[in-house]
Formats: sequence, C-alpha cells, structure tokens
Amino acid sequence: MARPVHPHAMAASRPGRTRTAPPQAASGWYAQPRMLRYLLFDATGILYLIAGFGVLRALWALGSGEEAWQAFLDRLHSPLYLAFHALALVCVVFVAVRFFRLFPKAQPAHIGPAKPPPQPVILAGLYAAWIGVTLVVSLILAGWIF
Amino acid sequence: MKHLLLKLEPLIWLLFGQGILIGTMLLTGWILVVGLLLPLGVVSPAALGYDRAHDLASSLVGRVFLLALCALPLWKGAHHVRSLSIDFGGVNRDAAVATLVYALAAAGSLAAIIAVVRL
Repeated sequence: MARPVHPHAMAASRPGRTRTAPPQAASGWYAQPRMLRYLLFDATGILYLIAGFGVLRALWALGSGEEAWQAFLDRLHSPLYLAFHALALVCVVFVAVRFFRLFPKAQPAHIGPAKPPPQPVILAGLYAAWIGVTLVVSLILAGWIF
Repeated sequence: MKHLLLKLEPLIWLLFGQGILIGTMLLTGWILVVGLLLPLGVVSPAALGYDRAHDLASSLVGRVFLLALCALPLWKGAHHVRSLSIDFGGVNRDAAVATLVYALAAAGSLAAIIAVVRL
C-alpha cells in the first residue's frame, strides 16, 4: 500500500507555481532489488554499532587486567559470538564493496586546480588500501609479525 | 533539537564517512583474527596473550588504532540506523531517533577515549 515518504524527498529546489501532491512510496518498495540492497547497506549499521561496542568491551577488559582479558577471550568461543562475527565479516565485505564502487563516482570534477584521478585508479587504490590494511592488521594480531 | 542536529551535520557526516572508510578497513582484520581465527584455533592463543596484547595496545599507535576501531564504526552504525528509521516511515520520530543513536555513538566514543587512556 502506498504511504507518504520523507517530505523533502524528490522536492523541487524552489517551490513552483503549481501545487503538487506530497510524494508517496510505491507499495512493496522495499522488496525491489535495488531498494533491498540499499536497505541492507543501511541495516549493516546495526552490526557496526554492536561491533564497535564489542571492541569497547575488549578494550575495557584489557585495561582491567589479565583475568578480565582472559574471560573476554574465553567468551569469543561461544557459538553466538562466532555466528555474530561471521555475519559481521560478511557485512563488512558488503559495505566495502558497495562503498568503494560508489566512492569514485562521488568525487568532485575538480579539487582546487587539480582533477581527481580516473575512477578505475581510485577504485584500485581503495581495494589496495583495504587489502593492505587488513593484511597488516591480521598479521600483527595473529602474532606473525611484530 | 532539529536545529542542533543540522548544525552538527558536518561533524556527524565526517565521522560517518570515516566510519565507513577507515572503520571498515580496520574492522575487517579485527573481526577475522579476534572474532573468528582465534576462537577457531587457527591463530595461537599466545598471539593475544595478556602481555603481548597489552604491549601492542598501550603503544601510541596501538591506542590510536583501537580508538579509531571502536569509535568510527559506532558513528557509521548510528547514522545508518537513523537512515533506516527514516526509510521505514520514521520522519516524525527522526529527531528523537537521531538524538538517541548519536548520543549512543558519542557515549561509546567517550568511553573508548577513557578505555585507551587507562590501558
């Protein structure tokens, strides 16, 4: 069933002489593939919030001494935590792939006198940075370097 | 409250944008190793034993890394949860939802600053 949407959605930049009806969302709008992907992208925010507080919990445990840190590490073995982290990893990869595809398109035509690099170069740079940072962070955390 | 949210929008968007970009880059390795490989036994428990973990975390680079790893995803999460609420017809409750989620992210960020200082 159609329902009203955000009052500013699709609004003209300045009011015209002809009054128009408020915008309405089509019925079943959320089930359309493009909209569903967009909503899933938004929904990853819930996982990011939980993951952020998860890191905070780890930090707090580390600052509280050896016993609290060990208790935190022991909790990570629970199937619930494992399932959450597997889902969080899928979300993080989804966000990265979708955002990196969007990022080059959102660049301004000029940054001062300079032009941004071509879109494929920006995309390749983002992927290289992501893989590089992930590799370094993983190797350090796993104790394989440092 | 709406007026304040509009004034803070550039700051919120900065933190949200860095949450997607830097937060995602940092979270991937963290989730992979700490959330999955360590509990599954692929990575030795000694790698994140208390002494090594504390030494890594309490260095200057470690503290900055952990602060970014904790705070930036909170802002990405808060802004997208607000956006999700608007998508599902929450225009009238937007000011309340925005205040709640941004307050949550701000409180988490403040707690993260305290947590890295007390390491």
